[in-house]
Amino acid sequence: MDFSVLTDQFASLTFDGIALGFIYVLIALGYTMVYGVLRLINFANSEVFMLGSFATILVSTKIFNYTIESDPITGFKLVYTLLAMLLGSMIVSGLVSVLIEIVAYRRLRSRTSNRLTSLISAIGVSIVLTEGVRIATSSAPMGSPRLLDKITLVTIWGADIRLDTLLVIVFAIILLITLDLFVNKSRLGKGIRAVSMDYDTSRLMGINLNKVISTTFLIGGLGTGAAAFFYITVYEMTRFSIGFELGLAAFTAAVLGGIGNIRGAFAGGIALGLIEMYASAVLGTQWRSITAFVILILVLLFKPNGIFGESLQQARV
Amino acid sequence: MSNQPVLELKNLTMQFGGVKALNQVNLQVNRGEICALIGPNGAGKTTVFNVVTGVYVPTQGEILFNGKSLKGKNRHNITKMGIARTFQNVRLFGEMTSLENVLTATDVHSKSGLIGSMFTTPRSRREERAGREKAYEILEFIGIDHRADQLAKNLPYGDQRRLEIARAMGTSPEIILLDEPAAGFNPSEKKALAELIVKIRDRGYTVLLIEHDMSLIMGISDRVAVLDFGEKIADDLPSVVQNNPKVIEAYLGVPADAS
Amino acid sequence: MSINLRDSGATLWANANKWQRYLIAGAVILAVFALPLLEGTFLNTPSTPFEMVLFYPIGVYVLMALGLNVVVGKSGLLDLGYVAFYAVGAYTAGILSMHTKLNTWEILPIGIALAMLSGLVLGAAVLRLRGDYLAIVTLGFGEIIRITALNTSAVGGANGITNIPNPPTTFGLKFDLDHPRSFYWIVLILIILTILVIRGLSVRRPGRAWESIRQDEDVAELMGVNTYKYKLWAFIFGASVGGAAGVLFASKAMFIAPNIFSYNVSILILAFVVFGGMGNIWGVVVGAVLLSYIPEKIRFISDARMLIFGLVLIIMMNLRPDGLLPRKKREKIGVAGEKSK
Ligand SMILES: Nc1ncnc2c1ncn2[C@@H]1O[C@H](COP(=O)(O)OP(=O)(O)OP(=O)(O)O)[C@@H](O)[C@H]1O
Ligand SMILES: [Mg+2]
Repeated sequence: MDFSVLTDQFASLTFDGIALGFIYVLIALGYTMVYGVLRLINFANSEVFMLGSFATILVSTKIFNYTIESDPITGFKLVYTLLAMLLGSMIVSGLVSVLIEIVAYRRLRSRTSNRLTSLISAIGVSIVLTEGVRIATSSAPMGSPRLLDKITLVTIWGADIRLDTLLVIVFAIILLITLDLFVNKSRLGKGIRAVSMDYDTSRLMGINLNKVISTTFLIGGLGTGAAAFFYITVYEMTRFSIGFELGLAAFTAAVLGGIGNIRGAFAGGIALGLIEMYASAVLGTQWRSITAFVILILVLLFKPNGIFGESLQQARV
Repeated sequence: MSNQPVLELKNLTMQFGGVKALNQVNLQVNRGEICALIGPNGAGKTTVFNVVTGVYVPTQGEILFNGKSLKGKNRHNITKMGIARTFQNVRLFGEMTSLENVLTATDVHSKSGLIGSMFTTPRSRREERAGREKAYEILEFIGIDHRADQLAKNLPYGDQRRLEIARAMGTSPEIILLDEPAAGFNPSEKKALAELIVKIRDRGYTVLLIEHDMSLIMGISDRVAVLDFGEKIADDLPSVVQNNPKVIEAYLGVPADAS
Repeated sequence: MSINLRDSGATLWANANKWQRYLIAGAVILAVFALPLLEGTFLNTPSTPFEMVLFYPIGVYVLMALGLNVVVGKSGLLDLGYVAFYAVGAYTAGILSMHTKLNTWEILPIGIALAMLSGLVLGAAVLRLRGDYLAIVTLGFGEIIRITALNTSAVGGANGITNIPNPPTTFGLKFDLDHPRSFYWIVLILIILTILVIRGLSVRRPGRAWESIRQDEDVAELMGVNTYKYKLWAFIFGASVGGAAGVLFASKAMFIAPNIFSYNVSILILAFVVFGGMGNIWGVVVGAVLLSYIPEKIRFISDARMLIFGLVLIIMMNLRPDGLLPRKKREKIGVAGEKSK
């Protein structure tokens, strides 16, 4: 173990950690919002992310015909290409997310209250999507053309503030503010909050549950899709198993912040991004994937409500 | 009847967020009596059961069972000590037979656990047999032994309610808490149930009974305690409580003389 | 159709007297032991000899499915990290054979004990959580075990452990590449033992406790069931079976590596349990046999195996959540006689 890494590269680790954290925050939305309304872990959300990451790359390679060897582009062309990639990823992820709800949850929701069945069904969807992509890509990773040159804008305390990471942070903040406004101000957003607070009463009050739930999945999917785009912009590579790796970390972020709570997801995501960066600097990157699991277990054991969380296990007799 | 308290609630307060479901409630249930707990909807009756059986930890106050505090006791230990209950909304193990439902309860006092059952030790075999006999006997006592092998979810509603009582008796309690056992019953079923409750008391159990049907309550209770908005407003003989103006007000929502 | 099959089987069994039962059971067991003789018939599998397939995947997976069934099917605890116990068993065999002269039969109880210990530790930590959280945390635990093995050079890292010895010749039975049926027979004995134990537990206190926890944990606790303790037992029991499977697997394969013990194995076993019928021993056995045999038989399926298992999960949950052979859907037969005497 080498703690000097931590002090030497503190600023740059922190910066990267925050960028990674924002990616987690956006994926965590897919977990936390769905948990809010359905009280169920949206197990297949990791695959929404995976598909979004492929969609991002495919937009640039199939629609705009760039290749891995393409040189970075600039100006207006860069802006609309990136926007198209972002939109492509968000649309694919949003649609897949809504479809997942229909395939894995809707039927079961109306028929049985057994959570185990819905959970297993969602796991099934997750496996099918992962394996489908694995077979389609022959397990090969897919690289992304570097369209955005990773120039260093400034150097602060030895940390290179790179354009791509900065872009992630700025865009993620804009998206999150929009979302927060939507949930707190719009009619549908209020519906979502009402259902989160009291499912049964909301139904009695005549809220269109299916619509609210679909919207929730859509928003979760859009956020996750945006995360996939940001991830590709920074890391430039995806593969079929990416959802499994990042999805669980994002879920941990949601739990860390208190699942069901959007602002909690924000805090949890950033915290986890930072912790992972510091931990992998000290322990070595091969342990990075465990960090999230260990944190998840510790949080659930010692502070199951997370930082801002509601109570997870209220028994009502 | 002796005045030996089995269950005592002392200054019991239970707060849910802003709602005080119970406010400084004192109650004493004596050995061998049928004590009724009544009150309008939302008065806090079920909450009393929930706090006594350990579902909720009271915000304040104390619960004594045979003089011993229940503070910090696990739910299953409270049951093992001798407090059993039924549920306002039937909550049987639907995919078990009636007999298995009761057996699950009689297991409380069984000493052989997994290892004993695995190796079929003589003790586990003996306890298993004794449990079955006892469970069957309870079903007979309640009058649903002909349902022994039917899945609980397939039982008619009335028998489900009776099976709940049988299951509670399976834990060999000293006091048995019945939460609206006659809910949804017709008058003749109610009468039969009243007789059953008296029979249960005569068998040596102490009964704390939540019920809305006044005539049932008045007919069989030794004492009636009344809750209103989480506070106890009366606690006396049935005939006295019946004429208590505060009670009449609580039920009718207007002062007694105004009506 | 399948329900009828199951019911007629149950009726036959219920109406049989003690000796007839022994006879039926004996005949069935004998037939199952004789399965390797069908090598070369229509049952043959194209790429691996049928006798080998009988041991792995079929035998090993049936054993694991039985163990997981106690956790998921009987107690309703969704464990997505069941592979961890399999890994603990296999790595116990690997490590002990590197450093000691112990043979497989001596390692087996140690492997089981260590698996139970990890079940105890994991269970003690996570069983206070409910439902979906349990699923994620157990999944995490499985990954922690795998990644730790991957990054620990003392257990070979990504290369794993090679040259794990086969079991010694026992009662004249040789255990090596040329004698796969010996392994099959051993795993079959373990399967039968496991079935007997689970059947015994099911009709006694632990079975009722598990069942009540699955149906309504809060009420179970209020009826005096020490739910935490029995959930822990379910975990430990499941772990012991998984550990045993791991030791046997290692002693046959002679080689283990972390990637053998991936999350997919946990899902595989879960699919067996769900497909066959959660909570029903025979359902689980049938489910595991079918789903592990078919991909071996039909080659082109084997790459899409996980895809199909994912579909199985979705389809079963949506159309037939109780599985191929559901747990008792109707009243038990023949029990009344026993207790009304
Ligand atoms: N877990 C809980 N969380 C929040 N409030 C609760 C909870 N349990 C009970 N309450 C509230 O406490 C009050 C008393 O409820 P309780 O169920 O004890 O009433 P009750 O006397 O049994 O009524 P009923 O006759 O309708 O059964 C109610 O206002 C109820 O909403
Ligand atoms: Mg009530």
